[in-house]
Amino acid sequence: MACAEDAKPAYPVMAPIEQYLEASASAEIALARTAAPPSISGDASVQVLGKHGYETAVKGKNGFVCLVWRSWVSWAPGTDDQEFWNPKLRIPICYNPAGARTVLPAYLERTNWALAGSSKAEMKERTRVAVASNRIATPESGAMAYMMGGEGSDALGHHWPPHVMLWFAHTDGANWGADLHGSPIFAEQQDPEPVTIFDIAVPVYSDGTPKTMGPHSH
Amino acid sequence: MRTTTRPLIELYPLAFLLGVIGTAACAEDAKPAYPVMAPIEQYLEASASAEIALARTAAPPSISGDASVQVLGKHGYETAVKGKNGFVCLVWRSWVAAFDDLDFWNPKIRVPVCFNPAGVRTVLPPYLESTKWALAGVSKTEMEKRSRAAIASKRIATPEPGAIAFMMGREGDVGGEGSDAASHHWAPHVMIFFGHTDSTTWGAGLHGSPITADHGQPEPNITTFNVHVPVFSDGTPAIPGPPPAH
Repeated sequence: MACAEDAKPAYPVMAPIEQYLEASASAEIALARTAAPPSISGDASVQVLGKHGYETAVKGKNGFVCLVWRSWVSWAPGTDDQEFWNPKLRIPICYNPAGARTVLPAYLERTNWALAGSSKAEMKERTRVAVASNRIATPESGAMAYMMGGEGSDALGHHWPPHVMLWFAHTDGANWGADLHGSPIFAEQQDPEPVTIFDIAVPVYSDGTPKTMGPHSH
Repeated sequence: MRTTTRPLIELYPLAFLLGVIGTAACAEDAKPAYPVMAPIEQYLEASASAEIALARTAAPPSISGDASVQVLGKHGYETAVKGKNGFVCLVWRSWVAAFDDLDFWNPKIRVPVCFNPAGVRTVLPPYLESTKWALAGVSKTEMEKRSRAAIASKRIATPEPGAIAFMMGREGDVGGEGSDAASHHWAPHVMIFFGHTDSTTWGAGLHGSPITADHGQPEPNITTFNVHVPVFSDGTPAIPGPPPAH
Protein backbone atom coordinates (compact mmCIF):
# COMPACT_ATOMS: atom_id res chain seq x y z
CA MET A 1 0.00 0.00 0.00
CA ALA A 2 2.77 2.44 0.83
CA CYS A 3 4.07 2.80 -2.71
CA ALA A 4 0.71 3.06 -4.39
CA GLU A 5 0.83 6.82 -5.01
CA ASP A 6 2.86 6.53 -8.19
CA ALA A 7 1.50 3.21 -9.35
CA LYS A 8 -0.87 3.06 -12.26
CA PRO A 9 -3.85 0.76 -11.88
CA ALA A 10 -3.66 -2.37 -13.97
CA TYR A 11 -7.42 -2.03 -14.48
CA PRO A 12 -8.18 1.71 -14.79
CA VAL A 13 -11.73 1.07 -15.97
CA MET A 14 -14.21 -1.70 -15.62
CA ALA A 15 -13.42 -4.89 -17.51
CA PRO A 16 -16.15 -6.72 -19.47
CA ILE A 17 -18.83 -7.79 -17.02
CA GLU A 18 -18.31 -11.46 -17.79
CA GLN A 19 -14.89 -11.31 -16.17
CA TYR A 20 -16.46 -10.49 -12.80
CA LEU A 21 -18.83 -13.44 -12.93
CA GLU A 22 -18.18 -16.93 -11.67
CA ALA A 23 -18.46 -19.90 -14.00
CA SER A 24 -21.53 -21.19 -12.21
CA ALA A 25 -23.91 -20.21 -9.44
CA SER A 26 -23.05 -23.37 -7.54
CA ALA A 27 -19.35 -22.46 -7.59
CA GLU A 28 -20.13 -18.98 -6.26
CA ILE A 29 -22.45 -20.36 -3.57
CA ALA A 30 -19.75 -22.74 -2.40
CA LEU A 31 -17.14 -19.97 -2.37
CA ALA A 32 -19.44 -17.58 -0.47
CA ARG A 33 -20.09 -20.18 2.20
CA THR A 34 -16.37 -20.57 2.96
CA ALA A 35 -16.51 -17.20 4.72
CA ALA A 36 -17.99 -18.67 7.90
CA PRO A 37 -18.03 -22.05 9.61
CA PRO A 38 -20.61 -24.42 8.10
CA SER A 39 -22.69 -24.17 11.28
CA ILE A 40 -23.35 -20.55 10.26
CA SER A 41 -23.02 -20.41 6.48
CA GLY A 42 -24.94 -23.64 5.97
CA ASP A 43 -28.14 -21.98 7.18
CA ALA A 44 -27.43 -18.58 5.61
CA SER A 45 -28.95 -16.98 2.55
CA VAL A 46 -26.50 -16.82 -0.33
CA GLN A 47 -26.41 -14.15 -3.00
CA VAL A 48 -24.55 -14.55 -6.28
CA LEU A 49 -23.52 -11.92 -8.78
CA GLY A 50 -25.49 -11.69 -12.00
CA LYS A 51 -25.18 -9.27 -14.89
CA HIS A 52 -27.44 -6.73 -13.19
CA GLY A 53 -26.57 -7.21 -9.57
CA TYR A 54 -26.63 -9.77 -6.78
CA GLU A 55 -29.49 -12.24 -6.70
CA THR A 56 -30.59 -14.51 -3.89
CA ALA A 57 -29.61 -18.02 -4.93
CA VAL A 58 -30.29 -19.67 -1.58
CA LYS A 59 -32.86 -18.55 0.95
CA GLY A 60 -31.53 -19.17 4.44
CA LYS A 61 -33.08 -19.44 7.85
CA ASN A 62 -30.65 -17.88 10.35
CA GLY A 63 -30.62 -14.27 9.14
CA PHE A 64 -27.03 -14.39 7.89
CA VAL A 65 -26.22 -13.52 4.28
CA CYS A 66 -23.14 -14.85 2.50
CA LEU A 67 -21.80 -13.60 -0.82
CA VAL A 68 -18.53 -12.93 -2.64
CA TRP A 69 -17.33 -9.34 -2.74
CA ARG A 70 -15.95 -7.99 -6.00
CA SER A 71 -13.25 -5.38 -6.46
CA TRP A 72 -15.44 -2.29 -6.11
CA VAL A 73 -16.06 -3.04 -2.46
CA SER A 74 -13.20 -0.77 -1.41
CA TRP A 75 -11.86 2.50 -2.68
CA ALA A 76 -9.47 3.27 0.10
CA PRO A 77 -6.25 4.91 -1.11
CA GLY A 78 -3.54 2.40 -1.84
CA THR A 79 -3.68 -1.07 -3.25
CA ASP A 80 -7.45 -1.22 -3.02
CA ASP A 81 -7.67 1.97 -5.02
CA GLN A 82 -5.29 0.69 -7.69
CA GLU A 83 -7.23 -2.51 -8.02
CA PHE A 84 -10.70 -1.02 -7.91
CA TRP A 85 -11.70 -2.67 -11.20
CA ASN A 86 -9.59 -5.82 -10.93
CA PRO A 87 -11.93 -8.58 -12.14
CA LYS A 88 -9.90 -11.30 -10.45
CA LEU A 89 -10.74 -10.22 -6.93
CA ARG A 90 -13.02 -12.55 -4.95
CA ILE A 91 -13.65 -12.11 -1.23
CA PRO A 92 -16.19 -14.37 0.49
CA ILE A 93 -18.04 -12.79 3.41
CA CYS A 94 -20.99 -13.69 5.64
CA TYR A 95 -22.92 -10.87 7.32
CA ASN A 96 -24.90 -11.34 10.49
CA PRO A 97 -28.52 -10.09 10.51
CA ALA A 98 -27.60 -6.56 11.69
CA GLY A 99 -24.87 -6.37 9.05
CA ALA A 100 -27.22 -7.65 6.37
CA ARG A 101 -29.72 -4.92 7.29
CA THR A 102 -27.42 -1.92 7.60
CA VAL A 103 -24.05 -2.60 5.96
CA LEU A 104 -24.75 -4.85 3.00
CA PRO A 105 -27.32 -2.65 1.20
CA ALA A 106 -24.78 0.06 0.35
CA TYR A 107 -22.49 -2.50 -1.27
CA LEU A 108 -25.36 -4.02 -3.25
CA GLU A 109 -26.33 -0.59 -4.52
CA ARG A 110 -22.75 0.19 -5.48
CA THR A 111 -22.67 -3.08 -7.37
CA ASN A 112 -25.76 -2.08 -9.32
CA TRP A 113 -24.07 1.20 -10.25
CA ALA A 114 -20.91 -0.60 -11.35
CA LEU A 115 -22.76 -3.08 -13.51
CA ALA A 116 -24.78 -0.24 -15.06
CA GLY A 117 -21.55 1.37 -16.21
CA SER A 118 -20.96 4.11 -13.62
CA SER A 119 -17.43 5.34 -13.25
CA LYS A 120 -15.63 5.13 -9.96
CA ALA A 121 -15.88 8.91 -9.54
CA GLU A 122 -19.62 8.82 -10.17
CA MET A 123 -20.07 5.99 -7.69
CA LYS A 124 -18.16 7.86 -5.04
CA GLU A 125 -20.20 11.01 -5.59
CA ARG A 126 -23.46 9.06 -5.43
CA THR A 127 -22.29 7.54 -2.18
CA ARG A 128 -21.51 10.99 -0.76
CA VAL A 129 -25.03 12.10 -1.63
CA ALA A 130 -26.52 8.98 -0.10
CA VAL A 131 -24.56 9.53 3.10
CA ALA A 132 -25.52 13.21 3.26
CA SER A 133 -29.19 12.33 2.87
CA ASN A 134 -28.89 9.53 5.45
CA ARG A 135 -29.94 7.01 2.84
CA ILE A 136 -26.76 5.11 3.76
CA ALA A 137 -27.31 4.48 7.42
CA THR A 138 -24.94 4.28 10.31
CA PRO A 139 -24.34 0.59 11.01
CA GLU A 140 -26.77 -0.91 13.48
CA SER A 141 -25.33 -1.90 16.84
CA GLY A 142 -23.81 -5.35 16.58
CA ALA A 143 -23.35 -5.33 12.81
CA MET A 144 -20.60 -7.81 12.01
CA ALA A 145 -19.38 -10.32 9.46
CA TYR A 146 -17.20 -13.38 9.17
CA MET A 147 -14.28 -13.52 6.76
CA MET A 148 -12.74 -16.84 7.60
CA GLY A 149 -12.42 -18.36 4.16
CA GLY A 150 -9.22 -19.93 2.96
CA GLU A 151 -10.38 -19.52 -0.62
CA GLY A 152 -10.59 -16.37 -2.68
CA SER A 153 -7.86 -13.76 -2.96
CA ASP A 154 -7.30 -10.05 -2.94
CA ALA A 155 -6.11 -7.93 -5.83
CA LEU A 156 -2.54 -9.11 -5.57
CA GLY A 157 -3.40 -12.74 -5.20
CA HIS A 158 -2.82 -12.59 -1.45
CA HIS A 159 -4.92 -14.57 0.91
CA TRP A 160 -5.89 -13.03 4.20
CA PRO A 161 -5.82 -14.33 7.71
CA PRO A 162 -9.21 -15.38 9.04
CA HIS A 163 -10.98 -12.63 10.94
CA VAL A 164 -14.31 -11.21 12.01
CA MET A 165 -15.36 -7.68 11.10
CA LEU A 166 -17.32 -5.23 13.22
CA TRP A 167 -18.89 -2.03 11.94
CA PHE A 168 -19.26 1.17 13.95
CA ALA A 169 -19.88 4.82 13.28
CA HIS A 170 -16.56 6.57 12.64
CA THR A 171 -14.26 6.18 15.63
CA ASP A 172 -10.57 6.48 16.26
CA GLY A 173 -8.85 3.11 15.89
CA ALA A 174 -6.68 4.00 18.87
CA ASN A 175 -9.76 3.62 21.06
CA TRP A 176 -9.57 -0.10 20.34
CA GLY A 177 -5.80 -0.41 20.44
CA ALA A 178 -6.03 -1.18 16.73
CA ASP A 179 -2.95 -1.51 14.52
CA LEU A 180 -0.56 -1.40 17.47
CA HIS A 181 2.24 -3.92 17.70
CA GLY A 182 0.92 -7.23 18.93
CA SER A 183 -2.71 -6.18 18.73
CA PRO A 184 -5.07 -8.63 17.01
CA ILE A 185 -7.30 -5.73 15.94
CA PHE A 186 -7.00 -3.71 12.74
CA ALA A 187 -9.02 -0.60 11.89
CA GLU A 188 -10.29 0.41 8.44
CA GLN A 189 -11.56 3.96 8.12
CA GLN A 190 -14.16 4.27 5.37
CA ASP A 191 -14.76 7.36 3.26
CA PRO A 192 -17.23 8.76 2.32
CA GLU A 193 -19.17 6.24 4.39
CA PRO A 194 -19.09 7.40 8.04
CA VAL A 195 -17.89 4.02 9.17
CA THR A 196 -14.98 2.37 10.94
CA ILE A 197 -14.48 -1.36 10.48
CA PHE A 198 -12.59 -3.25 13.15
CA ASP A 199 -11.10 -6.53 11.97
CA ILE A 200 -10.24 -9.00 14.71
CA ALA A 201 -7.93 -11.85 13.75
CA VAL A 202 -9.11 -15.30 14.76
CA PRO A 203 -7.04 -18.47 14.99
CA VAL A 204 -8.75 -20.72 12.48
CA TYR A 205 -10.23 -20.75 9.01
CA SER A 206 -13.85 -21.71 8.57
CA ASP A 207 -12.85 -25.31 7.87
CA GLY A 208 -10.97 -25.51 11.16
CA THR A 209 -7.48 -25.15 9.73
CA PRO A 210 -5.29 -23.20 12.18
CA LYS A 211 -3.84 -19.88 11.10
CA THR A 212 -1.64 -17.52 13.03
CA MET A 213 -1.56 -13.77 12.54
CA GLY A 214 -0.19 -12.27 9.36
CA PRO A 215 -0.63 -9.47 6.84
CA HIS A 216 -4.16 -8.50 6.03
CA SER A 217 -5.89 -6.42 3.44
CA HIS A 218 -9.17 -6.26 1.63
CA MET B 1 -20.40 -18.64 32.51
CA ARG B 2 -23.36 -20.90 32.82
CA THR B 3 -24.88 -19.44 29.73
CA THR B 4 -21.79 -19.71 27.57
CA THR B 5 -23.18 -21.58 24.62
CA ARG B 6 -20.14 -23.63 23.76
CA PRO B 7 -16.80 -22.97 25.44
CA LEU B 8 -13.81 -22.71 23.15
CA ILE B 9 -12.32 -25.58 25.05
CA GLU B 10 -13.94 -27.64 22.32
CA LEU B 11 -11.74 -25.91 19.81
CA TYR B 12 -8.62 -25.51 21.88
CA PRO B 13 -7.10 -27.33 24.78
CA LEU B 14 -7.57 -24.40 27.11
CA ALA B 15 -10.63 -23.53 29.04
CA PHE B 16 -12.15 -20.22 28.26
CA LEU B 17 -12.26 -17.09 30.28
CA LEU B 18 -15.22 -16.09 32.29
CA GLY B 19 -17.05 -19.17 31.15
CA VAL B 20 -14.79 -21.28 33.26
CA ILE B 21 -15.39 -19.47 36.50
CA GLY B 22 -17.64 -21.95 38.18
CA THR B 23 -18.04 -24.31 35.26
CA ALA B 24 -21.65 -25.12 34.73
CA ALA B 25 -21.22 -28.86 34.47
CA CYS B 26 -22.45 -30.64 37.56
CA ALA B 27 -22.96 -27.30 39.25
CA GLU B 28 -26.51 -28.09 40.26
CA ASP B 29 -25.52 -30.48 43.02
CA ALA B 30 -22.09 -29.10 43.80
CA LYS B 31 -21.44 -27.09 46.91
CA PRO B 32 -19.10 -24.13 46.63
CA ALA B 33 -15.74 -24.56 48.30
CA TYR B 34 -16.03 -20.91 49.32
CA PRO B 35 -19.65 -20.28 50.31
CA VAL B 36 -18.78 -16.96 51.92
CA MET B 37 -16.04 -14.44 51.51
CA ALA B 38 -12.60 -15.53 52.69
CA PRO B 39 -10.43 -13.20 54.77
CA ILE B 40 -9.66 -10.11 52.67
CA GLU B 41 -5.94 -10.80 52.74
CA GLN B 42 -6.46 -13.88 50.60
CA TYR B 43 -7.76 -11.74 47.74
CA LEU B 44 -4.76 -9.41 47.79
CA GLU B 45 -1.53 -9.82 45.88
CA ALA B 46 1.78 -9.92 47.70
CA SER B 47 2.84 -6.58 46.26
CA ALA B 48 1.50 -3.78 44.11
CA SER B 49 4.29 -4.32 41.61
CA ALA B 50 3.29 -7.97 41.18
CA GLU B 51 -0.32 -6.99 40.62
CA ILE B 52 0.65 -4.25 38.15
CA ALA B 53 2.74 -6.71 36.16
CA LEU B 54 -0.06 -9.28 36.17
CA ALA B 55 -2.67 -6.72 35.10
CA ARG B 56 -0.54 -5.64 32.15
CA THR B 57 -0.36 -9.15 30.76
CA ALA B 58 -3.97 -8.78 29.64
CA ALA B 59 -3.04 -6.79 26.53
CA PRO B 60 0.00 -6.44 24.29
CA PRO B 61 2.65 -4.12 25.78
CA SER B 62 1.89 -1.55 23.06
CA ILE B 63 -1.48 -1.09 24.80
CA SER B 64 -0.98 -2.06 28.43
CA GLY B 65 2.34 -0.21 28.69
CA ASP B 66 0.56 3.13 28.32
CA ALA B 67 -2.53 2.15 30.31
CA SER B 68 -3.52 3.14 33.80
CA VAL B 69 -3.28 0.26 36.23
CA GLN B 70 -5.47 -0.27 39.26
CA VAL B 71 -4.59 -2.63 42.09
CA LEU B 72 -6.80 -4.06 44.79
CA GLY B 73 -6.43 -2.64 48.29
CA LYS B 74 -8.38 -3.44 51.44
CA HIS B 75 -11.13 -0.98 50.57
CA GLY B 76 -11.23 -1.21 46.79
CA TYR B 77 -9.16 -0.66 43.69
CA GLU B 78 -6.65 2.18 43.68
CA THR B 79 -4.84 3.71 40.74
CA ALA B 80 -1.25 2.56 41.01
CA VAL B 81 -0.14 3.81 37.58
CA LYS B 82 -1.61 6.76 35.73
CA GLY B 83 -1.65 6.02 32.02
CA LYS B 84 -1.93 8.10 28.90
CA ASN B 85 -3.95 6.10 26.36
CA GLY B 86 -7.30 5.88 28.15
CA PHE B 87 -7.05 2.15 28.75
CA VAL B 88 -7.26 0.73 32.28
CA CYS B 89 -5.77 -2.61 33.25
CA LEU B 90 -6.51 -4.47 36.47
CA VAL B 91 -6.93 -7.98 37.83
CA TRP B 92 -10.50 -9.15 38.32
CA ARG B 93 -11.33 -11.04 41.49
CA SER B 94 -13.93 -13.76 41.89
CA TRP B 95 -16.96 -11.52 42.43
CA VAL B 96 -16.87 -10.58 38.76
CA ALA B 97 -18.56 -13.96 38.28
CA ALA B 98 -22.29 -14.46 38.03
CA PHE B 99 -24.05 -14.55 41.38
CA ASP B 100 -24.90 -18.25 41.04
CA ASP B 101 -21.33 -19.17 40.33
CA LEU B 102 -19.62 -21.70 42.56
CA ASP B 103 -16.43 -19.68 42.45
CA PHE B 104 -18.03 -16.40 43.45
CA TRP B 105 -15.90 -16.11 46.58
CA ASN B 106 -12.90 -18.16 45.42
CA PRO B 107 -9.91 -16.10 46.62
CA LYS B 108 -7.53 -17.80 44.19
CA ILE B 109 -9.12 -16.27 41.12
CA ARG B 110 -7.02 -13.71 39.26
CA VAL B 111 -8.13 -12.56 35.82
CA PRO B 112 -6.09 -9.79 34.18
CA VAL B 113 -8.15 -7.53 31.92
CA CYS B 114 -7.54 -4.25 30.06
CA PHE B 115 -10.55 -2.08 29.21
CA ASN B 116 -10.58 0.43 26.37
CA PRO B 117 -11.82 3.97 27.11
CA ALA B 118 -15.48 3.14 26.38
CA GLY B 119 -15.22 0.06 28.56
CA VAL B 120 -13.64 2.10 31.32
CA ARG B 121 -16.55 4.53 31.22
CA THR B 122 -19.44 2.10 31.10
CA VAL B 123 -18.40 -1.46 32.02
CA LEU B 124 -15.71 -1.05 34.66
CA PRO B 125 -17.58 1.21 37.17
CA PRO B 126 -20.14 -1.38 38.33
CA TYR B 127 -17.37 -3.89 38.98
CA LEU B 128 -15.45 -1.35 41.04
CA GLU B 129 -18.59 -0.67 43.04
CA SER B 130 -19.24 -4.39 43.56
CA THR B 131 -15.69 -4.68 44.81
CA LYS B 132 -16.30 -2.07 47.47
CA TRP B 133 -19.43 -3.90 48.57
CA ALA B 134 -17.54 -7.17 48.78
CA LEU B 135 -14.68 -5.70 50.75
CA ALA B 136 -17.13 -3.99 53.11
CA GLY B 137 -18.57 -7.40 53.98
CA VAL B 138 -21.80 -7.22 51.99
CA SER B 139 -23.27 -10.66 51.37
CA LYS B 140 -23.68 -12.08 47.88
CA THR B 141 -27.45 -11.92 48.21
CA GLU B 142 -27.32 -8.27 49.13
CA MET B 143 -24.81 -7.53 46.33
CA GLU B 144 -27.17 -9.08 43.80
CA LYS B 145 -30.07 -7.06 45.18
CA ARG B 146 -28.09 -3.82 44.98
CA SER B 147 -26.83 -4.63 41.50
CA ARG B 148 -30.29 -5.31 40.11
CA ALA B 149 -31.64 -2.16 41.76
CA ALA B 150 -28.85 -0.13 40.16
CA ILE B 151 -29.70 -1.57 36.74
CA ALA B 152 -33.42 -0.93 37.23
CA SER B 153 -32.73 2.68 38.16
CA LYS B 154 -30.35 3.04 35.18
CA ARG B 155 -27.51 3.89 37.54
CA ILE B 156 -25.68 0.99 35.88
CA ALA B 157 -25.74 1.90 32.22
CA THR B 158 -25.88 -0.22 29.11
CA PRO B 159 -22.35 -0.51 27.69
CA GLU B 160 -21.38 2.34 25.40
CA PRO B 161 -21.00 1.33 21.73
CA GLY B 162 -17.47 0.12 21.18
CA ALA B 163 -16.83 -0.92 24.77
CA ILE B 164 -14.27 -3.72 24.69
CA ALA B 165 -11.57 -5.34 26.78
CA PHE B 166 -8.51 -7.45 26.12
CA MET B 167 -7.96 -10.72 27.93
CA MET B 168 -4.85 -12.05 26.25
CA GLY B 169 -2.73 -12.89 29.29
CA ARG B 170 -1.07 -16.21 29.90
CA GLU B 171 -1.05 -15.70 33.65
CA GLY B 172 -3.90 -15.69 36.11
CA ASP B 173 -6.43 -18.20 37.34
CA VAL B 174 -10.13 -18.45 36.63
CA GLY B 175 -10.76 -21.15 39.18
CA GLY B 176 -13.12 -23.87 38.09
CA GLU B 177 -14.80 -25.68 40.94
CA GLY B 178 -14.76 -29.37 40.34
CA SER B 179 -12.51 -29.20 37.31
CA ASP B 180 -8.88 -30.10 36.94
CA ALA B 181 -6.00 -27.67 37.16
CA ALA B 182 -5.52 -27.48 33.41
CA SER B 183 -8.85 -25.76 33.01
CA HIS B 184 -7.88 -22.87 35.25
CA HIS B 185 -6.81 -20.79 32.32
CA TRP B 186 -8.35 -19.36 29.19
CA ALA B 187 -7.67 -18.85 25.53
CA PRO B 188 -6.66 -15.31 24.54
CA HIS B 189 -9.61 -13.26 23.43
CA VAL B 190 -11.13 -9.83 23.00
CA MET B 191 -14.40 -9.08 24.76
CA ILE B 192 -17.02 -6.85 23.18
CA PHE B 193 -19.77 -5.61 25.46
CA PHE B 194 -23.40 -4.97 24.57
CA GLY B 195 -26.72 -4.74 26.31
CA HIS B 196 -28.57 -8.04 26.30
CA THR B 197 -28.24 -9.52 22.81
CA ASP B 198 -29.28 -12.84 21.34
CA SER B 199 -26.02 -14.71 20.83
CA THR B 200 -27.33 -16.46 17.74
CA THR B 201 -27.26 -13.12 15.91
CA TRP B 202 -23.47 -13.37 16.05
CA GLY B 203 -23.25 -17.09 15.39
CA ALA B 204 -21.71 -17.33 18.85
CA GLY B 205 -21.18 -20.72 20.34
CA LEU B 206 -21.85 -22.62 17.14
CA HIS B 207 -19.50 -25.36 16.05
CA GLY B 208 -16.38 -23.88 14.50
CA SER B 209 -17.23 -20.32 15.49
CA PRO B 210 -14.39 -18.36 17.11
CA ILE B 211 -16.96 -16.43 19.12
CA THR B 212 -18.70 -17.34 22.36
CA ALA B 213 -21.19 -15.32 24.36
CA ASP B 214 -21.65 -14.74 28.06
CA HIS B 215 -24.97 -13.41 29.24
CA GLY B 216 -25.15 -11.56 32.54
CA GLN B 217 -21.45 -11.08 32.91
CA PRO B 218 -19.63 -9.03 34.06
CA GLU B 219 -22.97 -7.42 34.95
CA PRO B 220 -26.52 -8.80 34.82
CA ASN B 221 -27.48 -6.41 32.01
CA ILE B 222 -24.57 -7.23 29.70
CA THR B 223 -23.94 -9.69 26.89
CA THR B 224 -20.25 -10.21 26.28
CA PHE B 225 -19.07 -11.57 22.95
CA ASN B 226 -15.67 -13.21 23.30
CA VAL B 227 -13.68 -13.27 20.08
CA HIS B 228 -10.87 -15.78 20.29
CA VAL B 229 -7.58 -14.43 18.91
CA PRO B 230 -4.48 -16.27 17.66
CA VAL B 231 -1.88 -15.08 20.15
CA PHE B 232 -1.32 -14.26 23.78
CA SER B 233 -0.23 -10.74 24.70
CA ASP B 234 3.42 -11.79 24.64
CA GLY B 235 3.10 -12.96 21.04
CA THR B 236 2.99 -16.66 21.84
CA PRO B 237 0.60 -18.47 19.49
CA ALA B 238 -2.47 -19.86 21.21
CA ILE B 239 -2.57 -22.73 18.76
CA PRO B 240 -1.19 -25.01 17.60
CA GLY B 241 0.66 -26.35 20.58
CA PRO B 242 0.07 -27.81 23.98
CA PRO B 243 -1.63 -25.77 26.68
CA PRO B 244 0.64 -23.87 29.03
CA ALA B 245 1.19 -25.49 32.35
CA HIS B 246 -0.58 -23.84 35.27
